[in-house]
Amino acid sequence: MTTSTPAARPSSVFTSASSRRFGGASGPAVAALLALALSGPVAGETRAASPCAIDDRDREVCLEQPAERIAALSPGATELVYAAGAGEKVVAVVAYSDYPPEAQEVQSVGSHTRMDLEALVTLSPDLVIGWMTGNPPEQLETIEALGMPVFYIEPRDFEGVSSAIERLARLAATREEGERVAAEFRDGMAALAERYADAEPVSVFYQVWDEPLMTINDEHLIGQVVSMCGGVNVFGELPRLVPRIDDESVLAADPEAILAGGMGEENRGWLTHWQQYPSMTAVERDNLYFVPPSLIQRPTPRLLEGSRLFCEQLDHARGKR
Amino acid sequence: MVMPRRSLWPPLATLALLGLAALLLSVTVGSAAVSLGDVWAVARGEGSPLARTLILDLRVPRSLSAFAVGGLLAVAGALMQVLLRNPLADPYVLGLSGGASVGALAAMLAGLGGAVITGSAFAGAFLSTLLVFGLAHGTGSWTPSRLLLTGVVVAAGWGAVITLMLAISPAERLPGMLYWLMGDLSYSRSPWPPLALLLLICLLLLPLGRSLNVMARGPLQAAALGVNVRPLEWTIYLVASVLTATAVTTAGSIGFVGLVVPHMLRLVLGNDQRLILPACALAGGALLVLADTLARTMIAPEQLPVGVITALLGVPTFLYLLYRSR
Repeated sequence: MTTSTPAARPSSVFTSASSRRFGGASGPAVAALLALALSGPVAGETRAASPCAIDDRDREVCLEQPAERIAALSPGATELVYAAGAGEKVVAVVAYSDYPPEAQEVQSVGSHTRMDLEALVTLSPDLVIGWMTGNPPEQLETIEALGMPVFYIEPRDFEGVSSAIERLARLAATREEGERVAAEFRDGMAALAERYADAEPVSVFYQVWDEPLMTINDEHLIGQVVSMCGGVNVFGELPRLVPRIDDESVLAADPEAILAGGMGEENRGWLTHWQQYPSMTAVERDNLYFVPPSLIQRPTPRLLEGSRLFCEQLDHARGKR
Repeated sequence: MVMPRRSLWPPLATLALLGLAALLLSVTVGSAAVSLGDVWAVARGEGSPLARTLILDLRVPRSLSAFAVGGLLAVAGALMQVLLRNPLADPYVLGLSGGASVGALAAMLAGLGGAVITGSAFAGAFLSTLLVFGLAHGTGSWTPSRLLLTGVVVAAGWGAVITLMLAISPAERLPGMLYWLMGDLSYSRSPWPPLALLLLICLLLLPLGRSLNVMARGPLQAAALGVNVRPLEWTIYLVASVLTATAVTTAGSIGFVGLVVPHMLRLVLGNDQRLILPACALAGGALLVLADTLARTMIAPEQLPVGVITALLGVPTFLYLLYRSR
């Protein structure tokens, strides 16, 4: 991680278009000087006058002043912004932003695949959190062209989650809260990893979806949870991140445990499907476990809770040998 | 030619007014509340920065793109119907949108965005045009039915490739791809190239109106009446392809406009290509502008694909006209 520098540096975001709309026509340098001159007692030593952070596309995004109006364009980004302690600054979310519950009160700007740009512009956010593979690139480009800085996030591993929280906290000047939450997550995951480092391997099938039947490979965040808990993902070697498979390949792999999400938070319907194959090891030993999808399928601090549950269930399966 | 001699201007002026009204409506309506007063202020070069962004950066370019795309598709459809002498012909019948879609989806699958998708879609459309043209031309004669069959089979081939790409693409890219296939104006960038092309083609087609009228009656009669059929057919095919390729690369494959607008106008105005082609440009544009306005406001902030609305608006209108004309 790079450290934040109070001096504004030119970046891809800070092009002519952005400075036109967001104050200072003379650019970030002047704004930074002004901020330094004016900020004396207000700015604590942790508050950068013009915060900068590197986003997940490796671009440095600098703001003239800490973000006050944040638009989060994915349910995951919303959770991360709240986790970073900047929940009160969120002015726009997208559909399905259901956690934390307060986020449901924030105005939605449509689905993450197709935002209502008019609604977004009307809310005049000073920081937009984009989702690299989820939001349409054309719309994000338009948002940038209209002068709203876009910060792309897409955590691909556990460290990505904690660092995203820290970076968001830096941009929103809520570093204290953000660093606390990030450290909590980082330490929690490290403790889990240490605890299960020498655990007996358990072969695992994790079901993401039922029709079509989908699982995850080792590179997927859930795949990383499987490995951390001492599990061996039977489809871990497949090339696609979210491979589509069939019942036969699951039967052939004969996993010791099957873990699945489902529609909603307590629907075990997908697991009963496997009970038609009593000869499978997982069914024979009754190692069919439900994991609430919202705890494990979003790269947010709740992943720690989901991982704990996941590891406990694998441990439970070990106990049945 | 026995063709009732009608003045071209009254219907065209009416349609132009309709198009203008549609454009005005689309600029004043949106999910963000902007009053007529604000629109007027912005038009005079004043108004708040927010209203200026909303109107000048978001609504006007999108409305103009919608108008251009609708016009291009309707004109291309009318030309295809003349060329193939088949009422079911639309701009996509010869596989052009399939080629463009494969190009666009391939770019999306590779994780590329923006201008690359546009370029790749245009390349796909161009490739499909050459393929169909070359295969239909072959070594022997070049008949409309042979062209149609070649086009339909090539289109079916593209369809299979599209399905394959959708099946193997990662889940997170699917929504973008599906929206592209359904047609969506939020992809459009600058409205000026399609608008300029539309105007240019309408002017170019004006002197060809007579020959096109004769062509619509069949190649033999056209030849007997002194029209040089082969070059004319090539011209129509190429012009329609360029129009469609531009429309598809601007906004994805928006269905329905190219098939139904020419028919609607023929039912009302008669089958005089000198009138129908410019009328298609205006009416197609107006229809798509209205449809897009509805698509982005009906359940805002959720955005609907515009193709849904063109069909929902067009089907009842067309059925009514057809019923009335018996």
